[in-house]
Amino acid sequence: MSRSISLISQEGALKSYFPDSDIRRKYDTEIRWTSIVTPTPLSATYTLHLHYKAGDGAKVYVLSPKPLALAKGKARLPHVYNHQEQRLCLYYPMDREWNPGMYYVHTLIPWACEWLMHYELWVGSGNWQGGGIEHDEDEAEG
Amino acid sequence: MLTQEQKTQFSELLEELGQTLDISPNEYAAAVKSYGAVGTQLSKEGSLLAPYKPEILPQGSFMLGTMIKPVNETDDLDIDLVCQLVGKNPLWTQYDLKQKVGDQLKENGVYRPMIEPEGRRCWTLRYSDSANYHMDILPAIVDSGYRMILEKAFSAQELDELDDLAIRITDRKRSDYRIEKLHLLWLKSNPFGYGRWFFSRASLDVMKAFSINESIKPVPDYQRDKLPLQRVVQILKRHRDLMFKGDENKPISIIITTLAAKAYNKETTVLEALQNVIERMTDYIEERFDPATGKLIKWVTNPVNSEENFADKWVEVFEKQENFYKWIYSVREDVRHALDQKDRGLHYVMESLKSPFGEKAVTKAFSNYGEKQLELRESGGMKMAGLTGMVGSSGRTHIRQHTNFGRLKDE
Repeated sequence: MSRSISLISQEGALKSYFPDSDIRRKYDTEIRWTSIVTPTPLSATYTLHLHYKAGDGAKVYVLSPKPLALAKGKARLPHVYNHQEQRLCLYYPMDREWNPGMYYVHTLIPWACEWLMHYELWVGSGNWQGGGIEHDEDEAEG
Repeated sequence: MLTQEQKTQFSELLEELGQTLDISPNEYAAAVKSYGAVGTQLSKEGSLLAPYKPEILPQGSFMLGTMIKPVNETDDLDIDLVCQLVGKNPLWTQYDLKQKVGDQLKENGVYRPMIEPEGRRCWTLRYSDSANYHMDILPAIVDSGYRMILEKAFSAQELDELDDLAIRITDRKRSDYRIEKLHLLWLKSNPFGYGRWFFSRASLDVMKAFSINESIKPVPDYQRDKLPLQRVVQILKRHRDLMFKGDENKPISIIITTLAAKAYNKETTVLEALQNVIERMTDYIEERFDPATGKLIKWVTNPVNSEENFADKWVEVFEKQENFYKWIYSVREDVRHALDQKDRGLHYVMESLKSPFGEKAVTKAFSNYGEKQLELRESGGMKMAGLTGMVGSSGRTHIRQHTNFGRLKDE
């Protein structure tokens, strides 16, 4: 596994990509990023929130709209850890697709924006076309 | 107003919709095979027609590449064909030609039960439920050398002498139906001149890959990639089909196709083409003085025969005229409404298109769009932009591979 990127570097990258976003960092142990995104030209706008805490991993949430609309006949969002919290499952923990040696702006954030695009298509069609694995057993979280 | 990016995305979605409405390569291949077999039957050795080298060629939407699936999958596709003979026995009248073509079809045990009662100008073959189409076969006479003239016209850049492409057909309603033997005095029709005109309106220099020559081959290749005008016509026809269902007074395809082609201004995207066409197509409905009634009547000129009014039925059945205008106003309203969803999300755009173009088709189109986005990311071609977080084929950072994980229950 590659060396962790310092949170101050993560903060710099976040500022560079999203100059208008809200970033709060505590030393090298915790960082919170909140920003408005528009995943595709015709898309709605969403508020994304990323929270990293050393030892706890990085979590990505959709803060608004809340609750997110669901596709006809569906009771929960696709590919989320937690439906109420609107916490997105963006990578497969077992495969170590993400680790703290990767920039958020190169991984978790584009993945979340991509999730939002497929989410909108899912609301309209009822079909999730974004790929991935759905599982109901507990697995280690990356 | 839509931004350039919004226009591009909307166009991509309309292109997907057009592809969904189009007949599939399999349906296409099956139809081509069926009418090829009809051609074989007509030109069979020993048949009275054989000396005149009968050939079956697609005309109408099949030639123009504007075919769409019927709204109900169990409904029939109409395939318009010309059965073209090079010259004829000098003693044959229109009646004789029509009967000889009919007899030659009936001679075959497969076609005999499929033939519908004789039409005014055509024979119709209704295929079994599994095939889901019927073929209108128009017997026609051309002069020797016609094939060469046709191919020349479809490979030339310039549009000239479309009148040379006219063919002669039979018409049961004419008083000389059973007597006139000189085919040059028979009714003139010009489906291939019309096709050549349509492609000159539709063609874009940027689309070199597409050869209009293909459309007049007896067995044209399936065109997966369509020109923006072809897509627009498909989308408009679908809207018409859903709005009028089986109403016999619905706007007819030839009027929609002609006005769309006249209004089209070589826009390179489907959205821009659609917006322009629906705003301007009514400008091409002329008014002419009708000496018979002493009134001005609406006139949709056949581009290859200015004396022919495609809207001639509007005089007898005013509802047809009213329906055309109702339809175009409704298209404008529906497209405007869909565009108004621009900042509300793809799901709102999708919802707005479902009622005018069909829930199943729209759902399929957007699912295909989603699938392509996944393929784009999997091939490493998807990027994310800074500031907005917009994903697509352009942006600041490539999107790495990942596997959306998911819990069916909350953790």
